[in-house]
Amino acid sequence: MENVIEIKNLCKKYSEFELNNINLSLPKGTIMGLIGENGAGKSTTIKLMLNIIGKDSGTVSLFGLDSIKDGRKLKEDVGAVLDDSFLSEYLCPNDMNKIMKNFYNNWDEKLFFQYMDEFKLPRTQISKDYSSGMKMKLKIATALSHHPKLLILDEPTSGLDPVARNEILDIFQDFIQDEENSILVSSHITSDLEHIADYITFINEGEIVFTKSRDDLLEKYGIVKCSKSDFDKFDKKDYIKCKRNKYEYEVLVEDKAKFYKKYRTNVIDKPTIEEIMLIYIKGEK
Amino acid sequence: MNRIKGLIVKDLLQLKSYRKTLVTFIAVFIAVSFLDTNKESIETTIILMMTLGLGMFSIATFNYDEMAKADRYILTLPVNRKDIVLSKYILVVISTFVGAILGMILSVGMTYAIYQEIPEMMYLMSLAMGGIFGLGVVNAIQIPCIFKYGAEKGRIQRFIALAVICLMFYGIFYLFQRFNIHIEIQSTIDMVKNYSVIILIPTVLILYYVSYKISYMIYRKKEL
Repeated sequence: MENVIEIKNLCKKYSEFELNNINLSLPKGTIMGLIGENGAGKSTTIKLMLNIIGKDSGTVSLFGLDSIKDGRKLKEDVGAVLDDSFLSEYLCPNDMNKIMKNFYNNWDEKLFFQYMDEFKLPRTQISKDYSSGMKMKLKIATALSHHPKLLILDEPTSGLDPVARNEILDIFQDFIQDEENSILVSSHITSDLEHIADYITFINEGEIVFTKSRDDLLEKYGIVKCSKSDFDKFDKKDYIKCKRNKYEYEVLVEDKAKFYKKYRTNVIDKPTIEEIMLIYIKGEK
Repeated sequence: MNRIKGLIVKDLLQLKSYRKTLVTFIAVFIAVSFLDTNKESIETTIILMMTLGLGMFSIATFNYDEMAKADRYILTLPVNRKDIVLSKYILVVISTFVGAILGMILSVGMTYAIYQEIPEMMYLMSLAMGGIFGLGVVNAIQIPCIFKYGAEKGRIQRFIALAVICLMFYGIFYLFQRFNIHIEIQSTIDMVKNYSVIILIPTVLILYYVSYKISYMIYRKKEL
């Protein structure tokens, strides 16, 4: 399968944080969710991909082109939404249209205003007076209106109510319907990704812990809930990590069927992505 | 070129909210000019204030970008850092020249309305050139400071840089006095009047060019 994003051995060092040897590929026509706690390196990875910050080493290619050398050309096909950054809030959608059509050869004014109507965003009202949900919808509409082939989204649902989140997730699912478009989306709201992502990449402390298909994570992984005496019987190589709670142990296993076959434990729950992430971060071997 | 145009359009649209302030600013100067009894003083005030005023307004776009952290977002568009820096300089230069031209037009209109006279064009041009040059020196210093420290944080650094420039000029005048070197004010004014286009325009363009190079060097490495 053709990869839209290829990141190889990407490194970036700050005085108090290091993004270490990131390798990541996003197959065409899929959605990948980037998860991790705040400060894990999700936004830094996205900024490096978009050339907003400079890398120390490694390579990033989008659509097979080098993200630095061919940056301007490939950004014609990329739509980006950043959590904390956009154009001034003193601009209205009409202004946005006037500005954006200068940047993109494929800017589709009709489509942009179609989104404005669909999202009920007043065209002449400055975005400062919009709600958080409306502001995010404006960012997303702006990112979609030049017919990009790849969307890179940094926390697009943070701070939104469930209804607005749902609407936004629907937009993303519509976007990949033709199987030509792809999305990389970072979020710490993992339940959103459970609905839309094909793959999940988990970053912790600047390193990639895993990239797995969502189905593998939700169907094959399991959380064994047991007592200390049961836990002591488990071989370390048969589980990933264990979180010790006050009254029970939560043990994360990669293949719950295989684990059950070996230990015949009674309680193996189907995990959520949030639980997997939590045990990885808080648990121990 | 479209990308630069897009960045300039963005800045101009951001400045829309200054429309009322700008109109009030012009209206106040027109009103004050009517009270002034000195013809030359009217011409000088209008031209210099329009040139400096409009040129300074464009600097406010840095604040808008900083408030929205817009630079990060802009870099996700098919735009590079060179485009961002260049667009700011083009906007500042254009707005300064537009201010000077508007100032000259207003000055002619005001002088005619009050004194039924058309002022000497060379004199008006030399005034406009003086304004463009003065603002050019200020901007050539303050724009790299803004790129380095930001519009908000860089205020103190900009103030210090401008104070140093003023002190340098003061120092030069002091040395001239100290060594009994007399500067003929009138002949200096005449020289500026006669040769302003030849002397001041290339000088201010060189200043802006050097300043642009410094700004780009700073901004190229800046972590956003």
